[in-house]
Amino acid sequence: MISRAGWVGVCKQIDRLVLTVLLVALSPAIAAGGTLLVYAGAAGKPPTEEAARRFEKETGIHVDLVFGGSGHVLSQMRLTRRGDLYFPGSSDYMEKAKRAGDVFPETERIVVYLVSAINVQAGNPKGIHGLEDLLRPGIRVAIANPEGVCVGSYAVEIIEGALTPEQRRRFRRNLVNYTASCSKTAAVVSLKAVDAVIGWRVFEFWDPERIETIPLEPGQVQRIGYIPIAISRFTRQRDTAQRFIDFLLSPRGRAIFARYCYFSTPQAAMAWVGADKPVGGEYLVPRAWLTPGDAR
Amino acid sequence: MAATSGFRRLAIGGALFILVLYGGLIGSLVYYLDRGQFLETLGSQRTLYAIGLSLSAATLATLLAVIIAIPAAYALSRYRFRGREAVDTLLELPIIVSPAALGAMLLIFFTNPVGAWVQEHSVQFVFAFAGVVLAQFVTTVGIATRFIKAAIDEVPPRYEAVGRTLGASPARAFLSLTLPLAGRGILAATVLTWAKAMGEFGATITLAGTMAMRTETLPIAIFMHLASADIEGTVVLILILLGIGLGTLYGVRRLGRRGRRA
Repeated sequence: MISRAGWVGVCKQIDRLVLTVLLVALSPAIAAGGTLLVYAGAAGKPPTEEAARRFEKETGIHVDLVFGGSGHVLSQMRLTRRGDLYFPGSSDYMEKAKRAGDVFPETERIVVYLVSAINVQAGNPKGIHGLEDLLRPGIRVAIANPEGVCVGSYAVEIIEGALTPEQRRRFRRNLVNYTASCSKTAAVVSLKAVDAVIGWRVFEFWDPERIETIPLEPGQVQRIGYIPIAISRFTRQRDTAQRFIDFLLSPRGRAIFARYCYFSTPQAAMAWVGADKPVGGEYLVPRAWLTPGDAR
Repeated sequence: MAATSGFRRLAIGGALFILVLYGGLIGSLVYYLDRGQFLETLGSQRTLYAIGLSLSAATLATLLAVIIAIPAAYALSRYRFRGREAVDTLLELPIIVSPAALGAMLLIFFTNPVGAWVQEHSVQFVFAFAGVVLAQFVTTVGIATRFIKAAIDEVPPRYEAVGRTLGASPARAFLSLTLPLAGRGILAATVLTWAKAMGEFGATITLAGTMAMRTETLPIAIFMHLASADIEGTVVLILILLGIGLGTLYGVRRLGRRGRRA
């Protein structure tokens, strides 16, 4: 039986141990001057992780990255009322964030540009060379859920703009399902669960051994997407957050994204598309695409 | 006496802590609750479809899980056979690898030659209703077996031995002696399995996708509303899922208690 005094002594020892562990664990952050919390869409995951590591190495400031669907991480930022930067995968979600007052709109900067494309299995076993091939009977196609994933809304915009009503009907017959995120859209091609997706051109560079990109015709691309970043209104270290933005836009930051084959200028993106296109903006997904399961 | 009441207070305190914890989480939803949106969402075709899909898939998955779990649990409880230890260990697979990992495993399975053959010669699982049922089944059958084994372990094998001496076959002894005696435990296991299936998300979203009016279950609908930064819509769907799930569990437990009193 341990006496009351004994229990008090034990508790004090445990307190000291916990405090020591916490201090050791947090000392790098405390010594270096803090931690940035960035809510990021998955569209830029590979280069963003590398950029965060490089930034920490150069400045000693640790960067915590919360990845997910752009809308999902926006919800997390709003609910937790914490965070320094919002880095969604498209302009659509940045527009939502600006309208709701979740970010300082004057701090928004464009980091890289994205172009929609058809992604197929490496080797293109089904011989898909364009949008019309996705209408062939037996072709299994997926897109990201346009309700919550930016690349999905770009896909819907392309289908609505480039296909006739009859062609859209044939497309929807081949549309097997919606994926839950950018990375899952690429993954279903890697895993050969579908024959093709309408995703981002850069998916090929995420998994070059399993994914191949088929460009759309210039007239089919509706707009150039971009990955923006802005300072969150919940930040308590605005200057430090600005430093991370400045790093991403610096030659060193841009070089990281260039290695992953993201376009650093709209002109480069348009050159790849083969035509001038509007950049960014917002697209209202037609309601029929939000409940497609009954449209057979 | 003082020690007894102190211990009683501690025990009840533990139970009340759980009530405060879960009750607090549910209560916090009220902060974002919009009454008008609640009624609109509840009555929408999309929500009604998600409710129907969740209920039917969970019920079907549970039935399949229990049908497999009862004989499996009996074998693990009563027999010694090669591979028994491996089976017993693998029952916890869904808990260890997480539902999301299970979903990835299922997706990977169906994209290799064996899985592709299965889909070609049976039903389509990837991005289909059958995939919803399969995802829920895979995540619950191990747990169902574990719970039902615990119930069968409580029934002394001696009863079956006596039945056998009176001329009953092993199957007859099981059906007329062991199964009824383990009935309450099996019912409890079934209810818990159904609850787990209703709330299943990770494996389902990976294998079956997120298309509304096709494979969007209530948990997936909650995730998609959060993914489109619609917090108010998310809250409504959470409350609907809570209402259906907890209401059904409570009702089944009440019926079970009435059945015992009768």
